[in-house]
Amino acid sequence: MSRGLIVRSTMASDLTWAVCLALLGAALGLVAQWGVIRHGWQGTLELQIAAVEKVEATRRLAAIQTYPLDQVLSIHQEGRAVFIDAREPAEYRELHIARAVSLPASQISVRQVAATLAGIARDHPIVVYCGSADCHASLRVAEFLQKQGYTQVAVYVGGFRAWDEAGYPVDIVR
Amino acid sequence: MWGGFAPGMRPDIPLTSSAKNWLVIAARLVLGGLFLYAGLAKIFKPYNFAAAVQAYQLLPPALVAVTAVFIPWMEAVAAGALIIGWKPRSAVLVLSALMIVFLAAIVITMARGLDIDCGCGLLVDRPVGWQALLEDGILLLLLLGLYTALLPPRAAVQAIETVP
Repeated sequence: MSRGLIVRSTMASDLTWAVCLALLGAALGLVAQWGVIRHGWQGTLELQIAAVEKVEATRRLAAIQTYPLDQVLSIHQEGRAVFIDAREPAEYRELHIARAVSLPASQISVRQVAATLAGIARDHPIVVYCGSADCHASLRVAEFLQKQGYTQVAVYVGGFRAWDEAGYPVDIVR
Repeated sequence: MWGGFAPGMRPDIPLTSSAKNWLVIAARLVLGGLFLYAGLAKIFKPYNFAAAVQAYQLLPPALVAVTAVFIPWMEAVAAGALIIGWKPRSAVLVLSALMIVFLAAIVITMARGLDIDCGCGLLVDRPVGWQALLEDGILLLLLLGLYTALLPPRAAVQAIETVP
């Protein structure tokens, strides 16, 4: 038997068993998580994802200070906190709460936090917001900041939409 | 059939380098452990992973759900097989194929300019970008290296070659 033939035979056998392993995994997934697949076929996956995210967000928000619109306005007017916009950079450039700085949840990193909050003390009040009451980007950023040692991090739960609709001060990137 | 026994325990493969054998076992356990953890993390939070898959905007909802279920289970089964040493080369091939799928998805998403979480972070969330691409690329190279190391040694092949 030639070496080439042995190697080819070994690889063919490996591939066959790889397919078997993958099928085994797929079968186990099908049985164990049929509910998820069913939501996909029925077109209700997005609703289910939103419901799960909402439950999780509620649980996680319990560990973070939150502010409603009226309270966050007075904090903003008195300049008592740094406002952080957790939305995507393009959304921030278009319009944001006046004097807010951009720290997108999708790009958050230790380096990004250090650059954005340079000179801000760890115990300085920080208010994080995202697009609306249904988004979770502010929560992710707030949790990240807490892990980085910022002790007075709060989330403004109404989000930018409610702020803008109320006619409060906004700004664009010039 | 059973790969990764301690040096000297496999009568069919001559003991050429015990250091290499231990390195292969360590690589199997470390890589297997990493992928098992990643797979289980997704299995326990299927809707979170479905949201991550959906964010790539590459698949219709029905296929998002199937992908979000199949990938973690394939990952966990292959990682488990790699750890216990059952068909370890085939397990490595499954994990390599998954890494190629992840890499392709990351490259396509980067080309489209989407700023999303890659859904592939082991301990922390990572955005789609060069770092995720580099890490997954290194993992793929390690897997391919492990596959090569798990192939029967040349001496064993030569021994078979002498069989008429």
